[in-house]
Amino acid sequence: MASTFKKETFREDYTYSNSAEAIKRFPFPFPEDQYMYSVNIEPHVKGKVGSVCEFTFDVDEHYVAECLDKKITLEQDPGRYQALPHMMDAQWDFLELTMESLSQDYPQHFSLNKNGSVWTWENKPLGIKDTFTFGDSSTLAMEPFDYMGRQVQGDFVLLDHREETLFADAGIVTSQADWSLAFNVGMSWREWHGPVPRATELGVMDRALKHLLNLQFGSPVRRLNWTMTINPRLDTSPENYPQWGGDRNAVNADNVSDLVHLRVELQTLFRLPRSNAIMFSIRCYLINLKDLSTYSRWAKRLHRVQKTMHPDLIEYKGMTKFHPLVVDWLAKFDDGAALDVGTHAE
Amino acid sequence: MMERGYWIKSKPIYTSLVWHEKATSHLVVAQGQGGLAAIKLFQQMHPQQPVTTLYEHSDIDANFAITLKKVVPEDLHLLKSEQEVVSLLKRIMPTKRMGLRIYVAGSEGFIWAVAEAVKEFGIEDADIMKELTGTLARSIYCVHCKAITHNITTNIGKCSSCERMLFVRDHFSRHLGAYMGLMVDAESPGQLPEIEEIYP
Repeated sequence: MASTFKKETFREDYTYSNSAEAIKRFPFPFPEDQYMYSVNIEPHVKGKVGSVCEFTFDVDEHYVAECLDKKITLEQDPGRYQALPHMMDAQWDFLELTMESLSQDYPQHFSLNKNGSVWTWENKPLGIKDTFTFGDSSTLAMEPFDYMGRQVQGDFVLLDHREETLFADAGIVTSQADWSLAFNVGMSWREWHGPVPRATELGVMDRALKHLLNLQFGSPVRRLNWTMTINPRLDTSPENYPQWGGDRNAVNADNVSDLVHLRVELQTLFRLPRSNAIMFSIRCYLINLKDLSTYSRWAKRLHRVQKTMHPDLIEYKGMTKFHPLVVDWLAKFDDGAALDVGTHAE
Repeated sequence: MMERGYWIKSKPIYTSLVWHEKATSHLVVAQGQGGLAAIKLFQQMHPQQPVTTLYEHSDIDANFAITLKKVVPEDLHLLKSEQEVVSLLKRIMPTKRMGLRIYVAGSEGFIWAVAEAVKEFGIEDADIMKELTGTLARSIYCVHCKAITHNITTNIGKCSSCERMLFVRDHFSRHLGAYMGLMVDAESPGQLPEIEEIYP
């Protein structure tokens, strides 16, 4: 991971950018020339050194700036954090998992010292150091899930397991691809996924649920999901749609490779030990088309995937307006040569 | 236009009320035109187990109240507002035991207000039988200002709080008893699609 954290923004002047190293490790999501919804779940095991799956939680060059953006969003709309009262055990499970993983994987940045149930947590990049009693919320400035949710990149949803399904009963959500936590909180798996076109018909959601109900403690899983976003904006929430929806009108043939970003979600799921809940983490990676085309293999593959995309999916992902411009811009990289299966850059 | 085979997966499917024979007691909650559904239920049979009935009605539906008084032999409560129904539910629920079955008939908004009121007593959605009556009007949750506007009969509705014109996403929250509404002209200010009454 990067030893320095960038100063950059994900709103207004959008100074966000990816270093050459960040481009190379980008989690490109298309192993084949065509894309359709699939369960595509695999064990969340240690990936290659330097990859986004090297550690349990990926801390990269955007860490500090993303945590700051998260703070701004939460200040403007406190409803981005929700936790139903029965989720307190799961909140402590979350705090334990994040603190233990970060301090083990990045000892230069994070440390955790336990003295019985009295824990001291230090987060150097964000300048935080607190001592508290594990299990006693009154010893922290905010609820444990809120406290640590702000110190890890990405969104988190805690899923309660009952009635043979999963309920989204807590969440901290500030970098979502157009879904609302305030609307979805308390929903069952099926209700939550209601609007996904074609997926329900294909039985994808039922199969994924079956898989997750059997998720075991100590054997987390992951999958990639993707969409496209105009500007490197983390907060593409429905709440703020009036602020970002109009950006789609600004895309033209000249600026398409700067404005249009491939937005990839690294989704990981962990069974939690006390509550038996599941932690669902959604980590967002953004890259504009220009940077992505650093690797011609990716540009070719993305061209083929986009060219053959089902119109329902283009609409669902909100890409209808600018999608033809994306396909046209990528076409020049595509010589039609066969690509082997896989997401590697070179 | 709706595609063939299209349905809103997060929208619940409503049925006709039928007694659960294996219940230990029953709770019937109806509103307005839902009074007719309650009458039909009691005409199927009068169950062995204890039954409590709550009926909220306006003057227009007073005739159902008169009939209900004749067909419901015990524990009938006539109420004037949804608020009264919810408060009475919260008072009587603690006295109910395992094996209680609940039957609700009314508008979509009423059905989910009842479901929400009994949730804290451990009643899950699946334990409640629901019949949609009277109106297809929808409640819309404004995702921008978080207000809920009731009784919207058109495809596009105005938020009663922030006054944005909202289009309705095919996503229903049982918790809020409402569909998600988003500003319809955020991408092209002032351009509204034709407004049609399709949920009379």
